[in-house]
Amino acid sequence: MANILICDDDREIVDAIEIYLLQEGYTIFKAYDGEQAIKVLKEQQIHLLIIDVMMPKLDGIHATLKIREYSSIPIIILSAKSEDNDKILGLNIGADDYVTKPFNPLELVARVKSNLRRYTTLGNLNVDNNALFQVGGLCIDDETKEVTVDGETVRLTPIEYNILLLLVKNCGRVFSINQIYESIWNEEAIGADNTVAVHIRHIREKIEINPKEPRYLKVVWGVGYKIEKQ
Amino acid sequence: MGKDHRENRETAAAENLQAEETRRHEAAETAERTQGAESADRAEAEGRTADEEQTARKKGKKRAGKRNGRALQKFLGLMQHVALAVLVIAVCVVAGYSRIRIDMFQSTFTTGLYMYEHDREDRYEDSNMFRNLFGYVLADVVRHGVVSGQLETDGRFDGSKAIDVTAYNYRQTELPAQYVTAEYYLEDLLKWQSYGFETKSETMTAEQAAAFLAPRTRLTFAGSDNITDSEMAEYIYGTAQDDSDGFQADVSGNQLWVYMGDGKEAPGGEGTEETTDATAVATDAIAVADEPLAGVAYEALGYDGELERNNILVNRYQTTEGKNLEDYVSNWDLYYELCNQVKTAANGLAYNYREYLNFNDFYAANKTNMRYMIVQETGAQRQIFTNLTAADADNPAFAYAAELAETGVLRTEAAKNARYIYYDPSDMIYETNTRIDEEIVRQTVQEYDYAYPETTKIWVGVDTAYPVSDGFRQGYDVFSNYSPHLWQSLALALVAGILYLLIWFYLTCVTGRDRDGEGHKCIRLQPFDKAVPTEGALVLACGAVAVGIGVLVMLTEFMGVDPTSLLSLSNALLEWPRLFIGLLAVYVFAADCIAMFFYYSLVRRIKARTLWKNSYLNRLFGYAARFGWKVYDNSDIVLRTWLPYAAFVLFNIALLMFAFAHDNNGFLCLVTLFALLAVDLFVGIVLFRNAKEQQKIVEGIETIAGGQLEHQVDTSGLHGDNLTLANSVNSIGKGIQEAVEISMKDERMKADLITNVSHDIKTPLTSIINYVDLIKREQVDNEKIRSYINVLDEKSQRLKQLTDDLVEASKISSGNISLQFEKIDLTELMNQTLGEFSEKFERRRLTVVMNINVKGAVIEADSRRIWRVIENLFNNIFKYAMEGTRVYLAIDRVPDKAGYIALSVKNISETALNCDPDELTERFIRGDESRTTEGSGLGLSIAKNLTEAQKGTFEIKLDGDLFKVILTFPLAEP
Repeated sequence: MANILICDDDREIVDAIEIYLLQEGYTIFKAYDGEQAIKVLKEQQIHLLIIDVMMPKLDGIHATLKIREYSSIPIIILSAKSEDNDKILGLNIGADDYVTKPFNPLELVARVKSNLRRYTTLGNLNVDNNALFQVGGLCIDDETKEVTVDGETVRLTPIEYNILLLLVKNCGRVFSINQIYESIWNEEAIGADNTVAVHIRHIREKIEINPKEPRYLKVVWGVGYKIEKQ
Repeated sequence: MGKDHRENRETAAAENLQAEETRRHEAAETAERTQGAESADRAEAEGRTADEEQTARKKGKKRAGKRNGRALQKFLGLMQHVALAVLVIAVCVVAGYSRIRIDMFQSTFTTGLYMYEHDREDRYEDSNMFRNLFGYVLADVVRHGVVSGQLETDGRFDGSKAIDVTAYNYRQTELPAQYVTAEYYLEDLLKWQSYGFETKSETMTAEQAAAFLAPRTRLTFAGSDNITDSEMAEYIYGTAQDDSDGFQADVSGNQLWVYMGDGKEAPGGEGTEETTDATAVATDAIAVADEPLAGVAYEALGYDGELERNNILVNRYQTTEGKNLEDYVSNWDLYYELCNQVKTAANGLAYNYREYLNFNDFYAANKTNMRYMIVQETGAQRQIFTNLTAADADNPAFAYAAELAETGVLRTEAAKNARYIYYDPSDMIYETNTRIDEEIVRQTVQEYDYAYPETTKIWVGVDTAYPVSDGFRQGYDVFSNYSPHLWQSLALALVAGILYLLIWFYLTCVTGRDRDGEGHKCIRLQPFDKAVPTEGALVLACGAVAVGIGVLVMLTEFMGVDPTSLLSLSNALLEWPRLFIGLLAVYVFAADCIAMFFYYSLVRRIKARTLWKNSYLNRLFGYAARFGWKVYDNSDIVLRTWLPYAAFVLFNIALLMFAFAHDNNGFLCLVTLFALLAVDLFVGIVLFRNAKEQQKIVEGIETIAGGQLEHQVDTSGLHGDNLTLANSVNSIGKGIQEAVEISMKDERMKADLITNVSHDIKTPLTSIINYVDLIKREQVDNEKIRSYINVLDEKSQRLKQLTDDLVEASKISSGNISLQFEKIDLTELMNQTLGEFSEKFERRRLTVVMNINVKGAVIEADSRRIWRVIENLFNNIFKYAMEGTRVYLAIDRVPDKAGYIALSVKNISETALNCDPDELTERFIRGDESRTTEGSGLGLSIAKNLTEAQKGTFEIKLDGDLFKVILTFPLAEP
């Protein structure tokens, strides 16, 4: 399987992550500061990097910058810094994902999988299909009515599917509850109702790794919902 | 003084405002600073010991330089006074001793060493002074030649010389064609003049009168020496005839006896025929004779025989012919005419005689270095006037002149040690070795051309050995004594003057200039400048001037010098003794010392700007101002307001009364009223300005109160109390702003601290969570251990939540968040929220009842933050609401606040709420004090702070178990 490099100055965290990932069958390499990580990356064939930000010698941000000079492997930043600014910085300098400490181990594993899938398999999708809609790792094939996230099939109810399709087709546009209701149920929305909101929550729970921090289906509070352009 | 006063008050106010904490902070800082300064001082001291020697040497040099500078200034000051004294002496010498007063014949001659070309030469004889002296003497000699001609015969005084009186009187002008005259001996006339002319008045009849006068008048004809009969006849009758023998006998030389009476000649004469002839002669005479004679003839004809009074000159002396005056004229007018001629001639001769004597005395050979000789040749006769003596034959300066007397020719080349002029117009000779032109001599001689015929030869010489002490000698002495020093004195005066001005200028520039300890330029005042105020110095200076004038007057009186002659230097200085000039120099020196002392003091005062500061007047103003402020500050507010007001009203009334009292004088009345109007207008403007200033301050206070703490009232253009007020307001605002800033800073620091701490907590927490999870994955059979692990899991998760909330809460309360406002539909938000919470609520069997009474409840808020508020609220409900109850959601308009919208959430609390509703929003407050349930206790606090950050209000109401939260937001503009 894939080779994963874990880099954190806290050895216990590295060991814990190693245990989880070994269970998934990955080959693990370990480093405890940025310089070591770069060294390992040069010596070994690494497919994914999990890197901490606050480390001695060379911090995660600078290490990522250096790695991005010659490599395009997926990089997941793992940091105790949970501010928006920190996340934005991390993603902007070339990281593919940002996970804050303390993290849910299962979520981390899921993100590792998702990133690896995208890195290794998503390059050869059939784009000729007109009924195929793709936003990042989210893919909807309208002919087969199949929805996949990072290659993994997701099972949705018809209403959920229709809502998702509507949003994906109009990727980036914000739909209010009423708009969604009217276009899906084809009848006028009378009064406020939380049906749509509940469906949306369900969709999120199915397609998102962490429904509270959705990656695709975003809630614009007080306005509506949208699929974020990737 | 007033400004200081206000400033003091300001500082006091500002100090009072300082927060206790700030002050303590400052004190600590000051202590630190003092310590730092002390250590720095110590370091400096050590450095000093290291460089001590060098520094000391430098300082010594500097001090020496300073001392040198001051000594130089003092020396220059002394030099300045000396220069002035020298200048005075030099000027006195130039103006005084270069001039001389020489007593000349009949006059005093003042001359000087003029600044002409020749006066700079070595020889006195070539100087202007000598030339002028020689010129004067020459004029004297020429005049003396004339006088001598009148009084002398063959070089001696001749008393028996016959003088024709009328001819003498007319010597300078042309004689009339016919005139009456008489001849007297010279000495007779001089004696007669010195005795005086005596006249007596006699009354006589016509017969007596006729008998007193001669029967015929003797007329003298000018311009002819010998009158022949035929000439006379032709003259009288117009034709040549010789049938009248009566004339022939009476003609002698150029004189003719004619009848000029009234026919009295007839009885004792030749008869009627002749009378007729005589009448005819008289009548004809009118045609030819001069005016006075014609008048006489008329009167003679009109005689009517009455008594007449006549003034008769007593004949003290008789003419050369032994006759009386009346024997020459036949009528009274001619008689008087003749008398006058005699008197005039006698007076003129007497004057000339005196002059002649004086001249002979003044220019006697033993009294002068001058010799002269005038030679007049008329035909064979040669007349010589000279003061040469026999002794002069041995003097090479004059010996050659004797030749002139003998041969009529002079060889001047023989002259030795002599300056001379030889003038011989007839031979066209002019020889001289003086600087006198021939032209000058000619003009001098021409004035007396009647006395100098063409053949005159004049020689004047001066012995340049000056054996005799006379004017020439005096001039020579002055010239040789002072001429060489004149230019030196003048140069000295010039140099001294320039030196004085230069030193004056330099000292004016540098006086008082100095360097302070650090070498910066500064103005150093002398003790006098500091101790004596400006007016004092002024009074002292005036006193010094008065004393100076007094001393000068005393000095001049003591020395017998006319002090007013200071104004006319040229003449007066001649009489000033040397001692006086010396004393004058000393006086000027002293006066300049004193004057410059005051002057430089003044200059230093002006430079140091203490001219006004260090004056009694300034102090007086200061006292007055301080007194005024004291009175003003200590006075009651009532007094302060009412006193000016009363003064204003009284002023108005007084002026009005004045105006009405003078209502008869329209102009005065009008002017008064205008003045009143102007003053009132001025007062009005002052009041308006005051009010405007106050308004400005009030606006400033309102702005600060409105939250713009950084606002400052513009103090420009404010005065008096208003300025104080504005400054106080500004310092209050500043103080508050500083306090707020400090508090904000503290809050931010706290937030940063919490953030950092939470990071440090999170890392170990990660390991805990991970390893708890790993344990859970191990198939633990022990039921107990599994429950323990569950507790660990739960608490570690809560710790995670807690740290996140803590960071967020501290950030929000420190204002360290940025908000992106957009339009939020509250209804939409509620629906979305309900969608999120539907399952959670269902789990606790909570039913939501929504009541939306507003359409388009759109507000401006940050989407994610408003969600956080609502999420927290719903989480709160989820956690604390009683199971199976209903939750009421409502969106309404705020009844008493237009444009505001209220979102209320009501639920029934599971536990009794026995706390203050406000406390619930404090951090770490929860409904249950036990704190056993989940949640950080920060939820409501965060919600409240976030709501307020988004311009909303957050209110909790408790009514028994009813828990009610009301959020209000302003409606967004559509």
